[in-house]
Amino acid sequence: MVTFKINGQTVQGEEGQYIKQVADKYGVDIPTLCHHKALEPAGMCRICTVELFDGRRSRFVTACNYPIWDGMEVQTDSESVHEGRKLIVELLLARCPEVPLLQELAAKYGIDKPRFKAEDDTCILCGLCVRMCEKMGNSAIALTGRGVEMKVDTPFHLQTDVCLACGACASVCPTGHITLEKIREEITRKGNVQLIPSEYDMGLKGRKPVYVPYAQAVPNTPAIDRDVCVHFKTGGCKVCVEFCGVDAIDHTMEDEVVELEVGSIILAPGFQPFDPSKFDAYNYANHPNVITSMEMERLLSASGPTGGHLVRLSDHKEPKKVAWFQCVGSRDLNRCDNSYCSSVCCMYAIKEAVIAKEHAGDDLDCAIFYMDMRTHGKDFERFYNNAQDKGVRFLRSRVHTIDPVKDSDEVSVRYVDDAGNLQQEQFDMIVLSIGLETSPEVVEMAKRLDIELTPGNFCKTDTFEPVATSKPGIYVCGAFQGPKDIPQSVVDASAAASAAGEILAGARNTATRKPEVVPQTNVIGERPRVGVFVCRCGINIAGVVDVPSVAEYAATLPYVEFAADNLYSCSQDTQDNMSQIIKQKKLNRVVVAACTPKTHEPLFQETLLKAGLNKYLFEMANIRNHDSWVHKNNPELATKKAKDLVRMAVTKVALAQPLEETELQVNPTALVIGGGIAGMTAARSLAQQGYETHIVERGEQLGGQAHNLYKTISGDLVADKLGALIGDVSSHPKIQVHLNTQLSAVDGFVGNFKSTLSNNGNQQEIEHGVAVVATGGAALQTDEYGCGQDPRIMTSLELDKMMMADDPALARAKSAVFIQCVGSREPQRPYCSRVCCTHSIDNALELKKRNPEMNVYILYRDIRTYGEREYIYKEAREKGVIFIRYNLAQKPEVALVDGKVQITVTDHVLGIPLQIDADLLTLATAVIPNKDDALANFFKVPLNDDGFFVEKHAKLGPSEFATDGVFLCGLAHYPKPIDEAIVQGRAAASRAVTLLARETVHTSGQVAQVDPMMCSSCGVCVSICPYSAPSFIDADARMHAGKAQVNPVLCKGCGLCVASCRSGAIHLKGFDNNQIFAQISAVNWD
Amino acid sequence: MSEWEPKIVSFLCNWCSYGAADLAGVSRMQYAPNIRVVRIPCTGRMSPKFALAALREGADAVWVSG
Amino acid sequence: MMKNLLEFMGVEPDRIHFSWISSAESTKFVEVVNKITAKVKAIGPNQRFVKQAAKVA
Repeated sequence: MVTFKINGQTVQGEEGQYIKQVADKYGVDIPTLCHHKALEPAGMCRICTVELFDGRRSRFVTACNYPIWDGMEVQTDSESVHEGRKLIVELLLARCPEVPLLQELAAKYGIDKPRFKAEDDTCILCGLCVRMCEKMGNSAIALTGRGVEMKVDTPFHLQTDVCLACGACASVCPTGHITLEKIREEITRKGNVQLIPSEYDMGLKGRKPVYVPYAQAVPNTPAIDRDVCVHFKTGGCKVCVEFCGVDAIDHTMEDEVVELEVGSIILAPGFQPFDPSKFDAYNYANHPNVITSMEMERLLSASGPTGGHLVRLSDHKEPKKVAWFQCVGSRDLNRCDNSYCSSVCCMYAIKEAVIAKEHAGDDLDCAIFYMDMRTHGKDFERFYNNAQDKGVRFLRSRVHTIDPVKDSDEVSVRYVDDAGNLQQEQFDMIVLSIGLETSPEVVEMAKRLDIELTPGNFCKTDTFEPVATSKPGIYVCGAFQGPKDIPQSVVDASAAASAAGEILAGARNTATRKPEVVPQTNVIGERPRVGVFVCRCGINIAGVVDVPSVAEYAATLPYVEFAADNLYSCSQDTQDNMSQIIKQKKLNRVVVAACTPKTHEPLFQETLLKAGLNKYLFEMANIRNHDSWVHKNNPELATKKAKDLVRMAVTKVALAQPLEETELQVNPTALVIGGGIAGMTAARSLAQQGYETHIVERGEQLGGQAHNLYKTISGDLVADKLGALIGDVSSHPKIQVHLNTQLSAVDGFVGNFKSTLSNNGNQQEIEHGVAVVATGGAALQTDEYGCGQDPRIMTSLELDKMMMADDPALARAKSAVFIQCVGSREPQRPYCSRVCCTHSIDNALELKKRNPEMNVYILYRDIRTYGEREYIYKEAREKGVIFIRYNLAQKPEVALVDGKVQITVTDHVLGIPLQIDADLLTLATAVIPNKDDALANFFKVPLNDDGFFVEKHAKLGPSEFATDGVFLCGLAHYPKPIDEAIVQGRAAASRAVTLLARETVHTSGQVAQVDPMMCSSCGVCVSICPYSAPSFIDADARMHAGKAQVNPVLCKGCGLCVASCRSGAIHLKGFDNNQIFAQISAVNWD
Repeated sequence: MSEWEPKIVSFLCNWCSYGAADLAGVSRMQYAPNIRVVRIPCTGRMSPKFALAALREGADAVWVSG
Repeated sequence: MMKNLLEFMGVEPDRIHFSWISSAESTKFVEVVNKITAKVKAIGPNQRFVKQAAKVA
């Protein structure tokens, strides 16, 4: 250890260190232009010159490369040092008058205009680039020439193959003398001088070789991209190692092959977006203003390359007109091989158009060119209608070519409008709504696993087993099963998990390890003894906030017994250390001033538990995300703010009380309401996984609407498969079937429900831990289009019945007409029934099969054969089914004339009315829910305007309710075909099992609690709570009859009841009034 | 003090604005260092009393964000 | 309602702000912080309604 003085202060450094290193450690600022932590110092720029007194005389040395020795005295900011630096800056500025960094320095040292002759260089010959290039293991450039001729250059001033174009020299150049352009034009002969494209930002932005793919990535640790990292090319660099404070980087690590023994495999490899560069006519590869929808997503994103500011890429100007082209790489066999529909593009294009208008203002003109608008998802049709109201233009036309406009950044498109006229329009930007496809790697994987694929290269599955691959034990979910959106992928994922869970039920909990439980110390009644740990987070916090002074300050606060700072509070050794300190100092409250509690609170609470403290005796002060990161340029105020935040946390934690989490047993029994396909699938899955299941059906048989269906699109008879499923359910030893039964009352909450079943007046009470709502739907009965007036006019399900019965009328018929959207997509029912297009086309094909001579017409508004259902649409056209489009304003008309069923429809191409005589008229009526207000009320779950149940989260929680322990599947959620009903039945079971398998539920400690002595029984809390947690104590109860109570199991700790309680009787534990008041008051003590 | 810096007591919902504040940090956005955040579980927890208390205790402003 | 009450008590309306920001809207968060700070700086320190004891101390 070497001891010496800097500016009179005694400091210590290691033998062999230089003055600047020690000064940095003690926070003494010495300016420099040529120093880099990872490189050997060279003393080139001379700005770090300091005054050294060796006991006899003073002299000037460069701090960056002068080794320290015992007893030396250094002055870093004396008058003569200042004078010397001023001269150096003056000389540098004369050489490079245009460099902003030098101009700033000159201003700092009070130099107005250099006294020396001005030159026009931008290089200060600091040599950083040369040393960095050498560090990279390369040495492509060097300082060449002598004296005034000296410059940074390649040997003989020739472009070189040695340079890797890594850009390290440009990244360290202090003046901006070296740029990527210069590397490209003067240094390297390699052509690829460009930023590394960020995968997350679709290449619209660069990223580093060491990177975190995106801010929310899990795990959120940086990775090194070996393909671009210089170390893996030359063996040099390793600069990152010098900067990592915890020695976490090891370049010698290699890929490991890990073998796992598993009982089941789930495939979720997803899709790749279609690459439109092969479509020459769209000019995607050549024109910057033709982009893909994925690039548009990034442009619209607040975390994207432009921060959500919509610009066209050619000149970064705001566009005035944007167009979307649908079906790029979908429904197309001419220019690519994807004849399926990608399912999601219509909806995302509308979403992008609406968001673009929100970001850029209503004046932005958005046009969507489409073939059929497919908004078949829940609430999607409403979104489509709203987009039209907001002025998004929808143009039914497939555009062939995008032409660049000469001398302009715009592009021109020609299309045929609805009336058949040729139009030409110019746009600032074209967004190609690219489809989904399976990547070649996944196709390869499927081959290796020996599983079958569909013609579209998706995983082949069966309607009644939609998540099972052709190989037993291997399941599939997500877009590899077929192109689909987020909600459907989430449903799939749960379903695949339950399918795997069924065959592995026996192994559940066999590989579980339980953590050791440390007994909790009782701290009630003790005087608070607060420990404060202030985190440096490497330089993330300490680089801005003066961490030691915050820790010192914390030690002066009331009740604080201990305060210290840590380098990384979240590292394992610091955690162990903290645990030791808590025990040694007998701390009973802890504050960690570090990052955000949203990510790190659970970790530190774990540490408290290990030290025997209740985990609620803890508080975090967010001095990173809310302070050092966002006030980088204001260290002084940031330090002040950190002290305020720590003070607020300390005053709050001093009032914290240990809170209890109650543990409740979960009754391992399930109740399924509804005996249709979805309900039965859920029941079977639950029973297969070992749980007692009751299935309640109000009708006299199981099977629901599926009894009315003839066959699936793959050609299987529904009755066969349905019979097998009913057999499985009826004979399963763990399933009790209750027919002709309805629910008449429900009591209790998650884990402990009590439901009353009534069967012809007989009441039976059953106890269950979870409930699955599968109440189904029905076909709309209508009198529109003459339905009911003639046996030849029928609904889709009635046609299925005729087919099942092989009705001779089918064989006799010479012409058949289908009318789509009967009762769907209309003002009184603004949703798409999802199943009817496929169903009608499938039946049309069946009619054609039975009688190829029959004339079959389908009158439609948009054909919505999403996913690989598109194939049958194509087949129907090929087989001569005639599709005639109508619009809502001009619906077809049906009349019974001279014993004939006469249909008049206006053809959209000819624009004139067409008359068709039909022997069969099938009406594709809407799917309507079995709206059940009583049930909604029993379980406190909401219904939407259309009568469908509202799930917990439209995207992420499609098969469960916000009410804990209650799940949802089938038509009660939204109209869906058999395969999707089965998937959701499995998904609901899967979500339910996550609860049942835990066996117990823990309540949070941070819940509301009523003080019955203060409660006035006004009932505001009971009516206001979104989770139905408060209730009145029974009027005949022994204690506090009629007062309110809060069920801690249902309480989510939002505090709504607390704020609304007019008697002040409700307290929110962990966020009590006194704690918040204390925090408020602590803001202003200074 | 060289220049007067106001103190703004901010009540941020744990699930919404508090998350936005965290993300602003992650994205290294820079903003005025005048807010002091009180984390509340939900804006439902907010009571007018808190706002009054903050002003009474000398805060220069109150901000409630859900 | 709250704003009316405060105004009635003599507190400037710009001393209390409400906003709704989703957890993904960090840009909006920053905008709101800066907007509010600017407004409060414009009306100056809070002098009315501050606890008397605080002034004495």
